[in-house]
Amino acid sequence: MLPNIRQFLYSICVVGFLPFASSAIDGTPESVSAFLDQYCIQCHGGEKVKGKVDFTTVSVETASTEHFDFWQLAAEMVDYEDMPPEDEKQPSTEERAAFQAWYDSNYVTVAASPGVFQPRRLSTPEYRNTMRSLFGFDLENKVAKAEQTAIEPSLILKLMPTDPPGESGFINDTHAAPLSTVIWDQYAYFSEVALQQLFSPHRHQQLSLMLGEELPNGFEHSDFTQEHARRLLQHFAPIAYRRPFDKKALNKILTPLKPLSGVKLVNALKFEMKTILMSPGFLYRGMRMGKTPGEQQPVDRYELAERLSYFLWEDMPDEELRQCAADGSLNDLEILSAQIERMLASPKAISLADSFATQWLALDEIDDAYNDPYLLDSYKNQPLDFLNYLFTENRPVMELIDSDVTFASHVTASVYPKDKNKLEKYIKPKGIEKQVAPNQKLLLEHTEGRGGLLTMPAVLAMNRGPILRGTWTLRKILGEHLGEPPADVPPIQSTMGGKKLSFREKFEHHRADASCARCHDKIDPIGFAFEGYNDKGAFLLASDNSPLPKGMQSKEKPPENIDASGRLTTGESFQDFEELKDLFLSVRREDIVRNAVEQTLSYALCRKLESHDGPTVKIITTTLLESDGTWQDLFTGVANSLPFRETIFSNDSDS
Amino acid sequence: MKRNWSINRRTFLRGAAGAMMPLPFLNLMEASADTGVKNLAGETAPPLRFLSLFKPNGVHPPSWNINGGTENDFRMSPLMAPFSQHQDDLLILDNMGDFGFSSHMNSTRRFQGGHHGNTKQASMDQLIAGHIGGDTAHRSLELTTEGIFTGQVGCSYISYGPNGEPLPRESDPQLIFDRLFRSPLDIPSKRDEMTSLLDRVRDDAKSLMRKAGTEDKDTLDEYLSVVRQTEKRIEVMNRGANPSPIKFEDIERPPIATNLNEQVETMIDLIALAMWTDSTRCASYMLGNSNSRMVFDFLGITEQHHYLSHFFRNFSRENIDSLLKISLWHMEKFDYLLTRMKSYKDHNGSLLDHSVVLFGSGMGHSDNHTAQRVPTILAGQGGGMLKTGRYLRYSENQELGDLHLSLLQGFGVPMDSFANSTIPLPGLDGGSFNEFRERPFDSWINLSSGKITVQGRLVMSENLDEAKTFYMEVAGKEPLRVDVGFRDFHDFNLAYHVGTPIVLTGNREEKNGQLLMTKVSDLKSVFGKSKPGQKGG
Repeated sequence: MLPNIRQFLYSICVVGFLPFASSAIDGTPESVSAFLDQYCIQCHGGEKVKGKVDFTTVSVETASTEHFDFWQLAAEMVDYEDMPPEDEKQPSTEERAAFQAWYDSNYVTVAASPGVFQPRRLSTPEYRNTMRSLFGFDLENKVAKAEQTAIEPSLILKLMPTDPPGESGFINDTHAAPLSTVIWDQYAYFSEVALQQLFSPHRHQQLSLMLGEELPNGFEHSDFTQEHARRLLQHFAPIAYRRPFDKKALNKILTPLKPLSGVKLVNALKFEMKTILMSPGFLYRGMRMGKTPGEQQPVDRYELAERLSYFLWEDMPDEELRQCAADGSLNDLEILSAQIERMLASPKAISLADSFATQWLALDEIDDAYNDPYLLDSYKNQPLDFLNYLFTENRPVMELIDSDVTFASHVTASVYPKDKNKLEKYIKPKGIEKQVAPNQKLLLEHTEGRGGLLTMPAVLAMNRGPILRGTWTLRKILGEHLGEPPADVPPIQSTMGGKKLSFREKFEHHRADASCARCHDKIDPIGFAFEGYNDKGAFLLASDNSPLPKGMQSKEKPPENIDASGRLTTGESFQDFEELKDLFLSVRREDIVRNAVEQTLSYALCRKLESHDGPTVKIITTTLLESDGTWQDLFTGVANSLPFRETIFSNDSDS
Repeated sequence: MKRNWSINRRTFLRGAAGAMMPLPFLNLMEASADTGVKNLAGETAPPLRFLSLFKPNGVHPPSWNINGGTENDFRMSPLMAPFSQHQDDLLILDNMGDFGFSSHMNSTRRFQGGHHGNTKQASMDQLIAGHIGGDTAHRSLELTTEGIFTGQVGCSYISYGPNGEPLPRESDPQLIFDRLFRSPLDIPSKRDEMTSLLDRVRDDAKSLMRKAGTEDKDTLDEYLSVVRQTEKRIEVMNRGANPSPIKFEDIERPPIATNLNEQVETMIDLIALAMWTDSTRCASYMLGNSNSRMVFDFLGITEQHHYLSHFFRNFSRENIDSLLKISLWHMEKFDYLLTRMKSYKDHNGSLLDHSVVLFGSGMGHSDNHTAQRVPTILAGQGGGMLKTGRYLRYSENQELGDLHLSLLQGFGVPMDSFANSTIPLPGLDGGSFNEFRERPFDSWINLSSGKITVQGRLVMSENLDEAKTFYMEVAGKEPLRVDVGFRDFHDFNLAYHVGTPIVLTGNREEKNGQLLMTKVSDLKSVFGKSKPGQKGG
């Protein structure tokens, strides 16, 4: 347990070090404490704790990697001169720089380290995909699919409790989602159902594939032989465990089955397979990896293949990847790159859009923005198809912000009035009242106000109003750590001298309060830049006043004079969102790329990033910035990074 | 309640769509006398069951309605043909409904909620389940075929909980089978298997533990604690378990349904089996959401059901044929359910004898969404609650709530009102009721230049080639053909007035020497109100 600041200050007082004449930080914990005492503790310590930031709960001991987030936020605040508030005593430029230097030396210029290894349970989508790959069929929930009804076709997704996101914000970070008896019973149930199906006539083909021989029609359980049993387990166990299963272990399972044949043999086989499906080696990742305690070391080749596979596919390695693991060739960067290219071309890579990007960007909130499932599907598929295109077709990272490609169907076509004629005409089949048709790729040449993720209708519709739009853009796109709004927010004034204030004016007054201004100075200009789009995401500033697209008429009347101009805290001004976008592409480019790298790395590692990941983020970011790198470059960079390829096993295996 | 079934033979019953579904040979099996509950006289009576089957999207009225006939002497309509063999077990109700029009959402609520506005009360199936569920393993089953219609959630539910909230429903027969008969730890052999499995995976986890670092150990500890908890649960169950009255292991799991027909027939098999094994006494089953947009491709139909159900505006002979094919399929499933229930012996009768089945749609005319003459049929005697084999056509619209109230009381639920209803529907037990009797009225035709005014009974054509055509019946004359567009059909609510005398004025035309009315300019009801939508209308 590290001493907290209050104790530390107290001890200093007792020995009589105080008061300092100057609070210049010289890198010692004492000088940092003095700085905090002078400028921060008054509002952020002990009895008075504003914004849930309390310096008495953290340590200033050097080289502490704990509370990385805390100090990251504090350093940002001091560096951007967001803190202390304007009306409080201000540190000198030198003092600020010294605090930054202390932070850098402790948390930024740290040596890269892969972090300590943590086994983790498969997330629900990973489990669903893994079972599908292992058995060759999906466990389905029988429900009639009709247009406009919501169905969950996967039995597993239907019955499993929802995975809570871990500290990283991603659900593959299951460290905080322990196994429970409820989940145990579900695993047992899924195993039972899958095995029952595998041995039913219905799944003859899949069983044939596992046995490596075409079974004759009418093959019955009574025809099962010892040879079948051996081949089945030999095939099944290593794939399920995602690593070789040695002969001795196989024989240990097979020996008791020797006297059995026919139906009894099949039942015994089912039991053995169920045991594998319920074992920690199947349900957890990294459990059976070879480990040398106490050392930083490369992960073994099977673990590497597994990491790559769950990263890009949310699924177990396929045959080719298993082969690469077996011959150790993934250590060759060229082969690794070729594998990544192959994997991104596979339909399984859709998980990057459906899981990674959806969780990163909170795109599931789109679900609440549309009442009509027909509109929901049509509009939600736009960002998903667009992200899938960026990820799998080797597009530059920055096309996230600006791209002349979008995806549209007959439902969303009217969002792009001057380009929609390029879409293939949709002809509604007879007797079908409404139908969601697949998106087509659409090149934007003449459409105003679109291009890139931020101005897609669904993204605008899920973040209604300037404050949500500004906050979302800052957090999710620029990667800023805003912290939480303070609990003691003064009420937002709605009138001034009897005059009703506009939304923009209300927040101008709100920003006059220093504790609000800290965040709202950043949020508001960006949020108000989207004023040219109504709450359904329709573009209101088209030069030819073209009618609003289908389903995008807002109940709220648009303001008469739309003002989308603003000024960033860093000084740059813009007239409208297009000009802000140009700023994103230039002065904020580094922030955006860095954030993309952080998010991708965190998803790939299934954990929150720590200070020792900083160097890795920096290397990948720099490379991408220099080369106008693509998402594929980013994925390759991550797969080739230190924390992805190496790990540390803790030393106290005997404790 | 002690139960003492035994099943000692296994054979095959016809299951879904001709597939052989292995089941105990239930026809020969007779539940022993002490399976029932004691009645007031101290005699053992079998438990009563309630189940409902909901048909989506209303009907094509001329194909559904029984016109003419009396309580005990009537001919079933063309759409009733599939289940006409059960006539003796049916109580066909006519003139059920409210006094206006029904949205799809309203039709689902009305079906078991008494009235579409009754959104804060449990539906009648749930109230009955609460009363008769006893110590059955499952209080009730809420079943459906289709996903949730998120745009109008109300279309997707017929069963509602205590505060009127929709209850989750299940569509997969295998899931229902597993819920009923494969609750893993309920079955001794499954418990034994799990115990061996736990031994094995514990060994596995322990061997991993020997090589593990701290983090692995934390994870493995968590894993092992779940293993231990599961063992504990099994120990408790092994100690306290009563021998199951029926060996569920002997009932084989139905195969995966490969189309909607198999899915529905398998589900009906399960409903009957669940009732017979006394696993539950109450079930509700939706053949589709009330605005179902399913495509019945296995019947060779490519159009959505809801589109076809609007048969006036989307009229073509092929469309009406397709719609009727779908409706007939629904009727066949009702037949399948009744046949299945009769195949189970239950005390000195069949399962159906001790059940009440409610079949219906919640709305009448599927294009005009009328809330009158809502298809409603009861089946089964309910242990004497109902006197079947009859056709009750009430003199006036009877709210479904009245029917629900009488069923609630029939099942012994102590309620004297339900939804808007305070008076139970008379006549169900054979008692007297106000039978529909036509009041005499004059009929005539008045011709003037270009116009035609006629008083008579409005009917819909029974000829499917002209399913959007109406006729005015005038005594002693050829019926006058009325050919109108959708606007008039809709604005004058022609479908609402069908079967009643009206005065209709419109444009006069002659086609192939036949007089006909084309454009309606006025409609007056002879006895009721011309603008429907309220009582007395």
